[in-house]
Amino acid sequence: ICFSVVRTPTDSIVAQRRSKNKSYRQSYRSCLGAASRLGHTPGWTVRRLNTSRRTKSHNITEKVNPEHLALLVKTEWQLSYVTPLYQFRHTQLRSYSRQLSAFITAEKQQGLAVEVEGTQTSFRVSFSVVQGLGETDDDAETVLVQIHSKPVFAGKDEAQKLVWSGWLTCINGNPEYLHSLPKDFTCLPLFGSRGAENLTSLVKSWFQQTFDCCFGPLEINQTCQQWLAALWTNCHIESSIQHLKMIWTLPVEPPLQITYTVNPQDAWELWNSVRTPLLERREEEEETARSIDIEEVTRFMQGLMSHFYRHFRLDLSAGRLSQVSSALGSAKFSGRIKMSNSRYVLTTLSLLTECALLKMPI
Amino acid sequence: MSFLKSLTKYRCKCFFHLYKCTHLNTMSPLLHVVEAGTPVQGNDELEKNLVQVEKVAYSQGLPPEAVSIMLEFAMSLRMGKTVFASASKWVNWGISMWESFWNLIAEMQRHNFPINSYPSSCPCRASHYERNKKCDAEYKDGTDCLLFSSQGRQPFLLHLLSLYKVFCPELVTLSIPSRMKSGFRNHISPWKSALIAVQKRNGLQGASSISLVFTNKDKTNPRKRVCIFYWVCSQPSATQSSSRRVVPLVELHSFAQLLENMHRIELPAQMGSLLGSSLALQYLDCVQDESALLRLNFWLGPSQTSEEALQFLNKLLSAQHFLQEGFSSSEVFLYKFLNVWDGSLLRPQILGLLSNIPVVPSSRELLFEPLMQLFFTSSLFFKVGFSFADTNRSNLLPLLFKVNRKKINMTLSGFKDSMMELIHFVGRLASVGLQLEGCHCLLLSFVLDFYETVCDTFLKYGLPLIVMPPAGVFYPALFATDPVSVDRLAYIMHSNALNVQAFHISRQTFREFNHYVVVMVNCLWNSRMFHPGMGVQLGEELLLKSNVPQYGSSFDLVHHPAFMNYAVNFHQKVSHSKPWSWYLEYLFTQGYDGLKHFVQSNISWQLKADDGQVDSQQR
Repeated sequence: ICFSVVRTPTDSIVAQRRSKNKSYRQSYRSCLGAASRLGHTPGWTVRRLNTSRRTKSHNITEKVNPEHLALLVKTEWQLSYVTPLYQFRHTQLRSYSRQLSAFITAEKQQGLAVEVEGTQTSFRVSFSVVQGLGETDDDAETVLVQIHSKPVFAGKDEAQKLVWSGWLTCINGNPEYLHSLPKDFTCLPLFGSRGAENLTSLVKSWFQQTFDCCFGPLEINQTCQQWLAALWTNCHIESSIQHLKMIWTLPVEPPLQITYTVNPQDAWELWNSVRTPLLERREEEEETARSIDIEEVTRFMQGLMSHFYRHFRLDLSAGRLSQVSSALGSAKFSGRIKMSNSRYVLTTLSLLTECALLKMPI
Repeated sequence: MSFLKSLTKYRCKCFFHLYKCTHLNTMSPLLHVVEAGTPVQGNDELEKNLVQVEKVAYSQGLPPEAVSIMLEFAMSLRMGKTVFASASKWVNWGISMWESFWNLIAEMQRHNFPINSYPSSCPCRASHYERNKKCDAEYKDGTDCLLFSSQGRQPFLLHLLSLYKVFCPELVTLSIPSRMKSGFRNHISPWKSALIAVQKRNGLQGASSISLVFTNKDKTNPRKRVCIFYWVCSQPSATQSSSRRVVPLVELHSFAQLLENMHRIELPAQMGSLLGSSLALQYLDCVQDESALLRLNFWLGPSQTSEEALQFLNKLLSAQHFLQEGFSSSEVFLYKFLNVWDGSLLRPQILGLLSNIPVVPSSRELLFEPLMQLFFTSSLFFKVGFSFADTNRSNLLPLLFKVNRKKINMTLSGFKDSMMELIHFVGRLASVGLQLEGCHCLLLSFVLDFYETVCDTFLKYGLPLIVMPPAGVFYPALFATDPVSVDRLAYIMHSNALNVQAFHISRQTFREFNHYVVVMVNCLWNSRMFHPGMGVQLGEELLLKSNVPQYGSSFDLVHHPAFMNYAVNFHQKVSHSKPWSWYLEYLFTQGYDGLKHFVQSNISWQLKADDGQVDSQQR
């Protein structure tokens, strides 16, 4: 329901606000003026990805529980976005674990009238907080969900195995957006899952029922993938990327898929050549903490595409980038992400958090 | 083996928090913590207390916390074969109440009010329980798992479990020997009779009629009976025990009930369920709870892109129509969607959503651009049907025009500006559209229709607005080959003339208006078309090349292609030349009222005696 508060440019009369709480949402619409509502309204500049980002690598191995880290890294996650959770409490994780395991067991057993001994699989769910993963105080703590269960035809003494895991996180979320939400909401917009699809949908429906939130698919679009390619290449000195592989899909009949692998050294040299010269930047910035601009990323990709064109006479910009991967991770358009090096987890997750926040309905 | 004797040591955990229950303060003897290890059997004091509790329960009812405590007590007793009568009664009671609550919840779920957090009045939040042979019996209040044991054989528990199994088979996993099932023909009666007794005491007789409808779906297979248990209450059960009880919004069915309980309404766990209920929307609109509205908006977002879009959008539209305003998330959705819309998918719904968007100056880029692209790349009939036709309700421009101004607290001038912008936008669409379609008369007629509506903005919307049709509309109408278009143009100019006299307009508009009137009169009347300053400029040589004699009069009322056949008709009917005014009268009788008004208001002439030629002046 729109809080209809509009300040027209010709008049200085501001219409009365209906609600007593001065909320960001109401105030942004009062500044409409001639500017487009979604693009350039003061404050709400993030309906597009940030144009520049820091590239500092973070050594989080000391801050984060190594088990959790091992789980996060080197696994491929399927991403979704989540609208803010209503009345989610980090203090009630044990209760949530029990509720979710009961829910899953009940759903699995629906329709079964009589138990057949031995095929009953019990699910043990554990919710835990991954501490040390956040950077700012505005971000809610990352929550990790794990489901253990005995395999179907396991022997009596076999331990339960991890069959599904997922996490909800918010890294470097836009502070204005986070502050604009009322207190009851917890914003953890990025959701990653790994495991059986039916368990994923059960977990999602439990969250939807319990916290009145909504899940939706999160694609890793072109810009985001290009950012990742550039960020990874930028880290080549610190940790070798070993190769930079891109998979393009061209819209021809039948569709053509091109795998374009670049030698890391070549990629690094190209990257260096497109970077804005150091003289133009502030001298205080360290080499490793320099920020990257979208223009540099675009130039980098242009360089790669024009090189391809020179050799094969195919313009890759007509197609679509469907996957980017290197030794530091891989990202697919369908929303699958893998982070292979713990040093770049935070940077990747911040980028993905931004993508998820872009998908918020309001 | 006497179990009675061997049961000297048992655990009994009783934390009687009954202090906190206001209407049980008569039960002071109960209010102390008993140590673990206190014998239960032969404990007179305990038995007395239990009887007391029972008495109070039957007379006044117990609050949920008390019931849960009693259940906990009962469950925590380790007993052998001997059944401790009072305790088992509590167990019976607890479980049958539990299943009633469960079924009530199931019933509500069936009616699409999803519930995930159980209302605070429900004592038992178990979502399932299972039998585990090895574990001890434990009942944790407010938690999820209820584990029963078969330490010794506890037939009462088994009987109760099998009862539960009958109602909700998916939630109980145990295998029942068939001989046990026979004991439960009349399971509802203890609960039912007790409930009626309590209600009678509380003076609710006749207030709520409780009918238990028991249908046995599958009679053939005794092992797998699926029974549906309806609990039908004609009124919400307003107990007098708690005056501060919150009323879930889903329980209210009439506006009067809403008003009565306005101060203690509990919103459902999922806001999306409220979309179809006008009562709930009224409540939301009144209360303006930001969290609730945010939740609704969040829910709307992804739902709008889901598969069952049609029904969902219809529901959303009726909600918006009811509230007379739009949701901000559907605005955002529309802005994103319009860029990829093909114009025909779910057209009525999308147009409906569009009509709820406040027309603010900033909507230009977001709204107009995609609509314009859509318009220009479509066929003639699509253009007409989509944009201008007012015949059915699913067309764009009339909807945009009917802006609900009340919900936008805009000033009059702001509103006027945005309407002007909208009309200019339509003018642009119309001009280019006419060019693209070669001034097709169908499109032209609808465009002129639109401008007729524009003339009436003051009458219809109270907005003193005068907007001239752009040149791209005016000239095609003036030179149109069908008389109706010319007539309508004349009507538009005439109405604008009236408006010009009525309100204050800018100099620019006045100049425009004058120019058009001059052109029109010169064209139709003074036979001075194509003369310098008359709007359409054509070079002298071109005009000569066209070999049209007297090109100045080529578009006057006699020679205009639209009126040519009337002139011929007139000439044929009339034997000898008649005064000019007769021809005009003849034209006017053919139904061209617009022309009539225009001529009468703008042109005055003096008749010469018997001559068709006139001197004319324009007013």
